[in-house]
Amino acid sequence: MNIKILDSWLREHLKTKATPKEIAEKLSLTSLSVERIEEVGKDFLYEMEITTNRIDLFSVIGIAKEAAAILPQFGINAEFIPLTIKKENGSLTNLPIVINTNPVLVNRVCAVLMEVDTGKSNPQVQERLETSGIRSLNNVIDVTNYVMRTLGHPSHVFDFDRLNTKKLAIREAKKGERIKTLDAKEYTLLGGEIIAENEKGEIVDLLGIMGLSNSIVTEETKRILYFIDNNNPHKIRNASMSLGIRSEAATINEKGIDPELSMDAMLYGIELFEKYASAKQISKVLDIYPNKPKNKTINVSLEKINKIIGVEIDIKKSLNALSALDFKPRLLKDSVSVDIPTNRLDDMEHEEDVIEEIARIYGYHNLSSILPQNGQTQRNFFADDFYWEKRVKNTMKYWGFTEVLTYSFVSQSLFDGPIENAVEISNPLTEDFVFMRNSLVPSLLNVINENKNFEQIKIFEIANVYIKNANKLPEEIPMFSGIYKKDDVSFYEVKGTIEQLLSDLGINNISFKNTKDGGIGASLYLKDESLGQIEVLDSNLIDFELNFKIILKHASINREYVKFAKYPPIVEDLTLVLEQEVKTEDVINEIKKQDKIIVDVYLKDTYEQSRTFHITYQSQENNLTKEDILTIRTQIIKAVEKHFNAKIG
Amino acid sequence: MEEELIGIKNAALSFILEANDLENLEETKLQFLGKSGKLTQTIKEITKVPLEKRKEVGMLANEVKNTIEEAIQRQHELLKKHNQTRLLERIDVTNPGIKPPLGHLHLVTQAIEEISQIFNKIGYTKEKYPEIDWDYYAFTALNFPKNHPARDDWETFFIKGDENEQYGRLVLSPHTSTGQVREMEKEKLPIKMLNIAKCYRRQSDISHTPMFHQFEGLVVDENISIVNLKGTLEYFVKSYFGEKRKSRIRPYHFQFTEPSFEVDVTCGVCLGKGCKLCKAGWLEMGGAGMVHPNVLKAGGINPDKYTGFAFGWGIERVLMMREGLEIDDLRLLYSNRLEFLQQF
Repeated sequence: MNIKILDSWLREHLKTKATPKEIAEKLSLTSLSVERIEEVGKDFLYEMEITTNRIDLFSVIGIAKEAAAILPQFGINAEFIPLTIKKENGSLTNLPIVINTNPVLVNRVCAVLMEVDTGKSNPQVQERLETSGIRSLNNVIDVTNYVMRTLGHPSHVFDFDRLNTKKLAIREAKKGERIKTLDAKEYTLLGGEIIAENEKGEIVDLLGIMGLSNSIVTEETKRILYFIDNNNPHKIRNASMSLGIRSEAATINEKGIDPELSMDAMLYGIELFEKYASAKQISKVLDIYPNKPKNKTINVSLEKINKIIGVEIDIKKSLNALSALDFKPRLLKDSVSVDIPTNRLDDMEHEEDVIEEIARIYGYHNLSSILPQNGQTQRNFFADDFYWEKRVKNTMKYWGFTEVLTYSFVSQSLFDGPIENAVEISNPLTEDFVFMRNSLVPSLLNVINENKNFEQIKIFEIANVYIKNANKLPEEIPMFSGIYKKDDVSFYEVKGTIEQLLSDLGINNISFKNTKDGGIGASLYLKDESLGQIEVLDSNLIDFELNFKIILKHASINREYVKFAKYPPIVEDLTLVLEQEVKTEDVINEIKKQDKIIVDVYLKDTYEQSRTFHITYQSQENNLTKEDILTIRTQIIKAVEKHFNAKIG
Repeated sequence: MEEELIGIKNAALSFILEANDLENLEETKLQFLGKSGKLTQTIKEITKVPLEKRKEVGMLANEVKNTIEEAIQRQHELLKKHNQTRLLERIDVTNPGIKPPLGHLHLVTQAIEEISQIFNKIGYTKEKYPEIDWDYYAFTALNFPKNHPARDDWETFFIKGDENEQYGRLVLSPHTSTGQVREMEKEKLPIKMLNIAKCYRRQSDISHTPMFHQFEGLVVDENISIVNLKGTLEYFVKSYFGEKRKSRIRPYHFQFTEPSFEVDVTCGVCLGKGCKLCKAGWLEMGGAGMVHPNVLKAGGINPDKYTGFAFGWGIERVLMMREGLEIDDLRLLYSNRLEFLQQF
C-alpha cells in the first residue's frame, strides 16, 4: 500500500539538512521504498510503498522517526521531533455514555465529548490531506483524517446529538442486518462485522471501516463524540473485503495497529479540534483498554548474526539506530538482547527478525556479492523430461508450428466431457475460467477462432490437463496437442508429422487405428497403451492430442547401429488393385511376412483402385539373382490374391 | 564405301557443330551412332566389302567413329558451359528465396529456456511440483498465518471439494514457493533447486494475468547467507540482461523469508539515470529472502545448522524488463494473437 506525504509535513517531525532526493534514496535502500518525488509548488510530495508488516510507517510520525534513525548511518545528521501532546485537563465530568465492549472484537476504545464549531477547514490542513489523497470535507472530519495521517491510527467522530443515546454496545453483526454508510450506500451485513448499536437498537457505526449516515457529523453538528477504536484486524479485513468497502481506515486497521497509539491519537485529536474547530472538551476521556501489549525480548547470538549476513559487520552502529526506533538493544558478550517496541510486536518473533533489522540498517548495499561455494551438485541424467520437452518444441518450431500458451482454466462450454468430472474452481474470476481443463484442444480451437484472418495456421501447445482424484491431489497429465488449419488439409500430413516426431524421440512402434467413437480420424497406440488421437474436424481443420507423459516414458536417446549390408539391394514396384476396405498396413505386413530378404515395403503411390508398393529385397548372405526375386514375388502375389482378393495392376 | 564413310564424318561434324543445345546434340548422336544411326548401319555393311579391303575400311570406320564421338564430347562440354552461363543470366538475385518452414516458440518458453540455462551453469537442478496443491504447501508450511490475506477468496483460487484433514483445501498454486517444502521433504541436502512453473492469482489487469509463470530458486546448505543471495542475484542479472544492468536488494516483507528483500534492476532504457519508465532508475524484479526458520522446520531441516535463500521472480516480469520489449498490456502475452506470437 502506498502513502503520499508532503516534505514540509515530514520536516515538522524531522530535522535534517538532507534533500528530499537524499531522504528518498536512503529510505529506499534501508527501509521503505520511495517510489516517486513530485514537485508541488515549492514543496515536494513523496509517494512511498509500505509493506503490510510495517503499518507503523503508514504515518508522518512513523516515517520521520525511521528517517531520523537511518540518515546518520549515511553520515547525514538527523533528529526526530516528536509530537508534543499535552495531558488531559483533570477537572472534567465523566463521559455521559456507557460503552460496552468485547475484548475479542476491540483492543481499546477511547472516547470524549466535545463542543465544536463546524465549518471550513484550515488551508494547510486541507492541502496536506488533499495531496495525501484524502478529500477535505470540513474542519471536524478533517481533524480525524489529519490525526490518522500524522499518527497512523484511524479515528472517528459521531454527532453526539444524532446518536441520542446513553449507551453504545459494540458487538458482532448478525447476518441480514442492514446499514447505510456515510456515503449513503446501503449494505446487508453478512454477520461477524464489528458494529456499534445505540440504546434503541439502531446500528450507528461499522467500526474500523466506515461511519454510518445516521450518526455522522453534518454542518449543523454542535457536539461530537470523538471516538478511537482499536479493533481485531482479522474481523476488519473480512468485513471490509466481503462488503467491498475498502476505506483507508479499513486498509490500515486490518494490518493491526499498536493500541498504545490510541491515547496519543485521542489527545492529539482533542488539541486539533480546539485549534481548528474552536472546540471545547466537555467530558473526561473514557479509556477502555482490555488488550494491553505484552513485553517481548528477543535474544540473538552474534555468531548467528554473522552467519546469516555472511560477513562480519559493525554491529554497534546498527544498535544505535535500533535505539532510535524505540528498540532497547543490549550488546552482551556473545549475543544481543533486544526489547521490542509495542508498534513492532506483531512483526518481531524470531532471531531472524532482529537480524533483518540489524542488517537492513547496516545497509544491504554495503554487503558484498558472492556466489555460494557449495561443492556438491546433484547428478542428473541430461535427457530428462525438460530435455525432451525442449526437443519436441524446437522440432515443431522448425516444422513451421507456432507455440501458443493458453489458460489452464476454461468455461463450461469449452470443457470436454461430463462437467461433474471436472476439477472446479470455487471462486473463479469470470465465467470464462471456471473449470481446470481436461483437454487442450478446445483452447486451441479458440485460438484458431481468434485468428480468423489467417488462412493457414499450424499451432501447438504442451501443457497439463487435470483429472479429479477423490481426496487426493488431482492428477496432472502433460498433453501435447496441435491444430492444422489449411484448405484441403491432409490427414496424412498430420499423421506424418506425429510419426516423424516420435521417430526422432526414438519411438517407432506406434500404430494407428480407426477411432472407436466413429469420428473421422485415428487413435494412436504405443504397443497397448493409448497415446492419443487425430481428429479430422473439417476439410480445413485437423487436431491432434497426445499424452506427453507416455511419450516422456518411452523417449530414448539410445539408437542401434546396424552394419551396412555387404550385398546390394534390389528394388521393385508392385501395383495391386485392391478393394477400398483393405488396409494398406495389413497388405504391407502380409508382404513382409513372405521372406526375410524383404527388408522394406512402403506405399509409394495410389491411383483410383491401384496401390503401388515399393519393395526392397536384400540379403545379408549373398547377391540376389533374378530367379531369387521371381520366386518370392510369385509367393507375394499368391498371398495377396488369397488374403485380399488383390489383382495385379 | 570409303567415300561414304568420309561423307558421314563430314556430315556428322557439321551437324555436331551446329547443335545449339544438349537435346539437339543428343539427337545428332542418335542419328549417327544410335542403333539405327547412319554410321552404325554403314559399319554393318562392312561384311559386304571384299576381304582384302575389309581391314582398311574397318580401320577407317573406327577412325570416323572416334572422331565423331570426340566431337560430340567437345560440343557437349561447350554447350554445358553455355547452359550454366545462361542459367546465371536467368537468376534474379532479388527474387524471394524458397524458405524451409520456421515456426515460433512462445516468448515465455524462450525466457524459460534462457533462464534454465543460466541457472544450470551454476549447478541448479530443475524440478517439477504440482500446480494444484494443498493449502499446506502453498501457505501453512510457508509460515502464513491462518488469517493471512493471501488465503482470502479474492486473492487465491481454490478448488471445490472437501478439505483434507491434514493439508486443508486445494489451491491453484499462487507462487512457485509451494515447491519449497516439497523439495525439503525429499531429504536430500544440500538443495540447489530451480522451479519454473505456472502460477495463478485472482487478478487480471494491464500488469496481471490470472495465469502467469514464476521461476524460483532455493538453496539450502550450511552457511548460506545474504551475501550469497546477492551474489546469485548479480550473476543472474548480468547473465540475463547483460553487463550494463545493475541490481540491488532492499528491505521488504514476505511471510516465508526473514530477512526479506525486494530486488531491483536498473532500467534498460536509462540504465539507472531515471526516466519515465522506471522509478528513479530502478525497476522492481521481484522478491527474495533468507528462508524463514519456520519453513525450514516444516521441511524437516534444522534451522540452527542449515540456512538458505530463496527467490521467486516472474517470467513475464523479467521479459518485460528486457530492452525493446516494453509491452503496454501484459495480457497480450496470453491473447495468443498470431500477429504477436509470430514476431518472436
